[in-house]
Amino acid sequence: MLKFRSSKPVLVCIAVICASVAGCKKRDPAAPSAAQPASKPTIALVMKSLANEFFLTMENGARDHQKLHAAEYDLIANGIKDEQDVSRQVALVEQMIAQRVDAIVIAPADSKALVPVCKRAMDDGIAVVNIDNKFDSGALAEKKAKIPFVGPDNRKGARLAGEYLAKKLKAGDPVAIIEGAPNAFNGIQRKLGFEDAMNAAGMKIVTSQTGYWEMDKANQVASSILTEHPQLKAILCANDSMALGAAAALRAAGRQDSVIVVGFDNISAVQQLMKEGKVLCTVDQHADKLAVFGIEYALEMLKTRAAPEDRETQVDLITPDTLK
Amino acid sequence: MAEVKPGKKTRTRTRARLLPTGVADSVGMILALCALTAIFGLKAKHFFELKTFQTIANQIPDAVVISVGVTFVLIIGGIDLSVGSVLALCSAVMGAVLLRTEMPLPVAVLACVITGLACGSINGLLISGLKLPAFIVTLGMMEIARGATYMITGSRTAYIGSRVEVIAEQSLFGLSLPFLTALAVASAGQFALSRTVFGRHALAVGANEQAARYSGIGARKVKWMVYALCGALSGVAAVINCARLGSADPNAGTGFELQAIAAVVIGGTSLMGGRGSVVGTFLGVCIIAVLGAGLAQIGAQESTKRFITGCVIIAAVILDYYRRRLRASSGAA
Repeated sequence: MLKFRSSKPVLVCIAVICASVAGCKKRDPAAPSAAQPASKPTIALVMKSLANEFFLTMENGARDHQKLHAAEYDLIANGIKDEQDVSRQVALVEQMIAQRVDAIVIAPADSKALVPVCKRAMDDGIAVVNIDNKFDSGALAEKKAKIPFVGPDNRKGARLAGEYLAKKLKAGDPVAIIEGAPNAFNGIQRKLGFEDAMNAAGMKIVTSQTGYWEMDKANQVASSILTEHPQLKAILCANDSMALGAAAALRAAGRQDSVIVVGFDNISAVQQLMKEGKVLCTVDQHADKLAVFGIEYALEMLKTRAAPEDRETQVDLITPDTLK
Repeated sequence: MAEVKPGKKTRTRTRARLLPTGVADSVGMILALCALTAIFGLKAKHFFELKTFQTIANQIPDAVVISVGVTFVLIIGGIDLSVGSVLALCSAVMGAVLLRTEMPLPVAVLACVITGLACGSINGLLISGLKLPAFIVTLGMMEIARGATYMITGSRTAYIGSRVEVIAEQSLFGLSLPFLTALAVASAGQFALSRTVFGRHALAVGANEQAARYSGIGARKVKWMVYALCGALSGVAAVINCARLGSADPNAGTGFELQAIAAVVIGGTSLMGGRGSVVGTFLGVCIIAVLGAGLAQIGAQESTKRFITGCVIIAAVILDYYRRRLRASSGAA
């Protein structure tokens, strides 16, 4: 009796695990390179949070590209649970080294902490390409590693948005910035870009606080900023999720007409808000192509074995006019 | 108090039992709240204004509703780590119902709450029926609900707009519908805890489950109901969260579980079970919200914000500990 009782949950667990594994299998086309002809390289894409729409778009772009070029390379795509999970990402790179992939395309969760493990991959003869979040140059120099960065200039993108905003304001107007996570290189670059544009146009930045890339946190911070600064004219957000949160705060405070919101990333939800006039503009850095650029670059490196150089990808300002 | 039977003896005894869990325990917290408000009033230019308090009242309803559920879970000596993820799942369901079907808002709200109730019931069944540890079961549910959320939304933020924002725009006597809902949930929670059989049983199960069972209380059923209640309240909080943000965010509620536990413990509910107060929880949520709003208004650095928030949580618990000892010794005398 006792034995039967205790085995029931075990059976349930096994059934659940089997079902979930079976359900997941087709999502992960992780084919070991040994089974493939030697000429066809395997490229590992190591991403940040797949919970974030931006990285999901990036990964899907890469998967579509691989399907079109299935004869040229195999793809193993992996992501971490949340954007701060640095140690898990290090473990992923180690697994990829053990898998003996030919190249690793990585969007590092931390611009310093991932350098040593990538250096180890290079020492094993794996080509490494850095996308999205640029490795810290000091950390690279210290490890004597040269990893090419393929990606957009976030600072330039943020400056474009800021300059567009400045045309709607007059010099001396108070504005606020909602930053991304404090340790993210791209977040810092976007903040700098916003500051460049605002300072050049003579705006007054009254406060700059982090919203951790999240809608709800940004909503709370924006609400408080609105209360403290009744004259505020604009809120510049380092990503679109936070812009949605800020727009909701404006609505709650009844100040949609006097305060302008600017975002970054061009996610689908924000396009709707731009059409309704609740968000002024955003910046598209072509997420669907970012990983693809990295993969193409890695394939080039594998062929030519040339000394890697950085390559800048396109950033575009998106306004309600460009959406039409 | 109105329904207490006449007769002096009964009344004083009831009051003695009622007040400690309700008002008397809260005096320290109200003082702390006043102190925080005073400090931020001096530091920030526009803190001591009606607008600030309206903003805070607009921010806290979802946190209050969830924390009431967590209060009951902690009272029975359990824990629920899944509330944040369940909130995200519920709002994803609500967004999907509104955006992909042409169903009216009440149907979406109902679907949202039922989703929460279902998640909570599963937690409760596994914990009370199979006697699995609550920590692991709800940790599993936290992952399941988050994964399901990403599946439903495709990891995309769904912008719903005015169709759901109307909920936040309704108001009565200058108080918004979400805030009134939160007040109603908190009042009902305190009433259920101190005045109903269910509340008594929950406290008894938390204090000593075996003793409760021997005295004829259906401990399993009580536990199951508490987790189901907590899930359903996560669903209610999801409606409020959606209405406030005008969108269903797949990353909503990340870290909510710990924030709720912090608020509940600040409010004087024991992590060990058997003792708790919903009024205290409400004040705990207020303390955390005032702190968050105040620090953002003075434009504090992120490092400072975290440091101070941590200190306040610990200080509140220390204060609570000493006040309790003081009362215990004076009560014994």
